[in-house]
Amino acid sequence: MSAPLLEVSGVSKRFGGLQALSNVSLSVSAGEIVGLIGPNGAGKTTLFSALVGLHRPEMGRITLDGRDLVGLKPHRIAAAGMVKTFQNVALFLESTVLDNVLTGGLLRHPVEDARALARRCLDRVGISGISGKLARDLSFPERARVEVARALCTEPRVLLLDEAMAALNHAEMDEFMDLLRQLRSEGLTLVVVEHHMRAIMALCERLVVLNFGQVIASGTPAEISRNPAVVEAYLGRSAA
Amino acid sequence: MSRLSSTQWIMIAVLVAVAIAIPFLFDPRGYGIRILCLALLFAAMAQSWNIVAGLANQISLGHAAFFGIGAYTSTLLLIHFGLTPWLGMIAAAVLGGLAAFLISLPTMRLRGHYFALATLAFGEVMRVIGNSWGGLTGGPVGISVPFSQPSLMALQFKDMRAYYALMLGAVVVVTAIFVVIKRSRLGYRLRAIKENEDAAEVIGVDTTRTKILASVISGMLTASLGTLYAQFQFFFDPDTVFGIASVSIRMAMIAIVGGIGTAAGPILGAFFVIPLEELANQVFSAKAAGLSQLVFGVLLILVILIEPKGFMAIGPRLKRLFARGDR
Repeated sequence: MSAPLLEVSGVSKRFGGLQALSNVSLSVSAGEIVGLIGPNGAGKTTLFSALVGLHRPEMGRITLDGRDLVGLKPHRIAAAGMVKTFQNVALFLESTVLDNVLTGGLLRHPVEDARALARRCLDRVGISGISGKLARDLSFPERARVEVARALCTEPRVLLLDEAMAALNHAEMDEFMDLLRQLRSEGLTLVVVEHHMRAIMALCERLVVLNFGQVIASGTPAEISRNPAVVEAYLGRSAA
Repeated sequence: MSRLSSTQWIMIAVLVAVAIAIPFLFDPRGYGIRILCLALLFAAMAQSWNIVAGLANQISLGHAAFFGIGAYTSTLLLIHFGLTPWLGMIAAAVLGGLAAFLISLPTMRLRGHYFALATLAFGEVMRVIGNSWGGLTGGPVGISVPFSQPSLMALQFKDMRAYYALMLGAVVVVTAIFVVIKRSRLGYRLRAIKENEDAAEVIGVDTTRTKILASVISGMLTASLGTLYAQFQFFFDPDTVFGIASVSIRMAMIAIVGGIGTAAGPILGAFFVIPLEELANQVFSAKAAGLSQLVFGVLLILVILIEPKGFMAIGPRLKRLFARGDR
């Protein structure tokens, strides 16, 4: 196997008395779709924030293609090729959908090229019909897709999706998973946080399970679903 | 979007024709045209302020600092070195930009009221320095711009219509800069910062650099306008050019009343606020001290309460009203 594209080793992050991440290590190879799962409060979103530079871990290393990212500001990490979407969706609400996505494209292109790229990204995500609407007027599933399109418009190598499929119905979710598979086949590497077990089991080759800020298991979906520590974390001790 | 529609071209043509015709309706040495010049100057000032406040929503209440720096820089260079105010204006812009850069460093992370208060304090610091460093500024007594033979080079004119043309030119230049920025990469990035700073960073916007760049441009323009003010008034003191009410808040107020973040807003606002202020002064100042300011303040509060997005929001609102009536 080639050297991993994204490597996290020994990352720890504390908020006051809460150890949000402790000694987290994982690695993601180019072209993989990795699922990151765990109960609420396990540290999934905190890990994403640390990866893109919104939080600075006290300890540990995060490297993308061998380059150390710890201490870089988020826009430098975006330029290096890693972006995330936000769990609660963080669009520019008073701007149109097209302008939201276009802003992502400005990372590598002048305005006109970014606009053309933004149109392609909207098309890919299947929402070119709403490009003129204000983000504030969109439904939650639409907003989540705009955010994915905006992230794609930065032309990332690694895309971190934080519950981008929340609030999608089954048909929409299947469609979305097809999109992710297609993006992967074009060379994008994905790390996905998701609560829908059906989706994550179907989508990911490999899962990493977090609980109380620690990696408690990693492996194929089949291995994970049989892992006693994971079952205990999700269902409690008596069920294990 | 990047091209103007034919209606917009017609509107611009009408505006230009009106702008050229207006000075001939006034007594060239009279009071009316002076107010007109001031309104144009304040429109340009509010437009400079609009670059940072309107696009990034960083509401500065300290722009008097840059304005005063501009007024003093060109005037002192003229007094001590006989430097033409045009070059003085360039020096003013450089110093104004430098001041904006320096004040950006500590205030950049602040938002909302905290940013407003920090910039307010910066303006006040400059006013106090202006008053106490008498050796340089002349202190509270004020400073006079030396008269020279009226000419374009000396930026001094006998005919008020020349000042009118100068101020109109300033409005056009600053508004053009605002429009170009608004449609450029910088404009998109500023709007992203305004609406969600974390999200902007994560998708690659260098928020620090973007904010500093916009502040420096805004500070440079405001300082240049300070030079124009000095050449127009011939006399000023620290309390006038570094004043909170006389400059900082007035700039903000004009842009907000007209429509913050829009190109036409500061111009509409200036032609409402400046004449209104003068009118309030004339009508009420004979009756009781401070009454004119009170009336003026109440009127402005009413405008803000009725339409917080300013005059520019009234058009779309009327359109919606009529659209509803059509159904």
